Amino acid sequence: MHVTVDLAKCQDHGQCVIAAPAVFSLNDDGHLEYDGNPDDSERSYVEDAADVCPAQAIFIKD
Amino acid sequence: MSSATVGSVPAFAVTDPGFSITSAEVHAARERSWYATTEYGLAVLRYEQVNRLLKHPKLRQGSAAWPAHNGVTEGPFADWFAGWILNKEGEEHHRLRRLMNPAFSNKLIGGLVPRFQALAAELIDGFAEPGRCEFVGEFAEPYAARVIAIMLGLPESEWKVIATESATIGLALGVTILDDLPRIEAALAHLYEYCDELIADRRASPRDDFVTTLVNASRPEDGRLSDTELRDAMVLLIFGGFDTTRNQLGLAMQTFMAHPDQWRLLAERPELGGNAVEEVMRVNPTVRWVTREVLEDFEYEGVELAAGTTVHLYSESAGTDPRVFEPGFDITAERKPHFGFGGGVHHCLGHFVARSDMSEALPLLARRMLDPHELPGATWLPDSGNTGPITLPIGFTPAP
Repeated sequence: MHVTVDLAKCQDHGQCVIAAPAVFSLNDDGHLEYDGNPDDSERSYVEDAADVCPAQAIFIKD
Repeated sequence: MSSATVGSVPAFAVTDPGFSITSAEVHAARERSWYATTEYGLAVLRYEQVNRLLKHPKLRQGSAAWPAHNGVTEGPFADWFAGWILNKEGEEHHRLRRLMNPAFSNKLIGGLVPRFQALAAELIDGFAEPGRCEFVGEFAEPYAARVIAIMLGLPESEWKVIATESATIGLALGVTILDDLPRIEAALAHLYEYCDELIADRRASPRDDFVTTLVNASRPEDGRLSDTELRDAMVLLIFGGFDTTRNQLGLAMQTFMAHPDQWRLLAERPELGGNAVEEVMRVNPTVRWVTREVLEDFEYEGVELAAGTTVHLYSESAGTDPRVFEPGFDITAERKPHFGFGGGVHHCLGHFVARSDMSEALPLLARRMLDPHELPGATWLPDSGNTGPITLPIGFTPAP
């Protein structure tokens, strides 16, 4: 699966990190880092992350 | 904090009843310094620093110790407060948040929009007199409470129970918490009865709704929500969603009455409802400050923050910071995000609901109530913490 985050919209709240910690993380400066091509086993977690994002900045492509 | 900087750092008397968090004094202080000192600790005034500290890993949500500070250390209220997701941190918090999030998702709430619209229209149709209303009592309060009844699947006629018991639990955030404790615990027990019935009902006959989604929430590594966690989550929806929505709607009217051209624009272009909510919450948020507590000593922008210090992040001051925002109130403007829903791991769980119900209500009000203006007799909560009108009489021209 392929994940993209609109970094212009992302506000680094970190809700995606809670939902899918294997895919999303915050670095020491508090900014988002993520794996754009996670394993398919992460799908339901990434979908939760996209749903919960307060800025609705996460997009999933198959 | 280092004593060398204290001389130039503004100091606010926040507990003075005359203090206003949106005053010229606060805005002038923001131009001198990114923070001020208060009786509680630190007040953060500028957008950039509020944005960073709101999400900083060395700060935690700041209200967990409130009951204990006021002598309430055990019993049903202390247990509920401690179990409240807002007062949890780390993995314990994250597990609850993962299990609760789907019930609050945008997808589930989208289906309720026609009911929000019908409710707003019904309340406006029901105003006792043509051309005037007491906006809080006749619109904001029943609207906020009935949205919660709709979410929970309770009969909307029960809305007064939500309003009354929620207001009683709200006494817990005041300094008279210890005296009010018996009433607070009775209100909590009453809401628990409602919640337990709803939980049992949805277990027996699931529906496509909020309570069923909570009851069925499960993840392999997180398990399910226990009965206690379920009813805590439901009381949180009631307690966290009612006052805030009522107050924010009243504040929206205050702002629009000061900007009649924007009100007319909203009536003409109802699709601006979502933008209108964001713009109102930027310049006139009900949650005037977001509270954090320093977890461990660290230095931030030259200031030593000691563990245990209370940090208040001032949402209106940050939302009108001239370093970031052009002056004015414009519902067509593209703005940076406001902090009216807090932020970081504790970002408001119910923000999709609040955004959706208010963005339906405001354009409908604008279409029906032309040229609204405040009439004498309004009463207000103090302008700090959580604020808004207690009563707000409004005169208007009914739409033909």
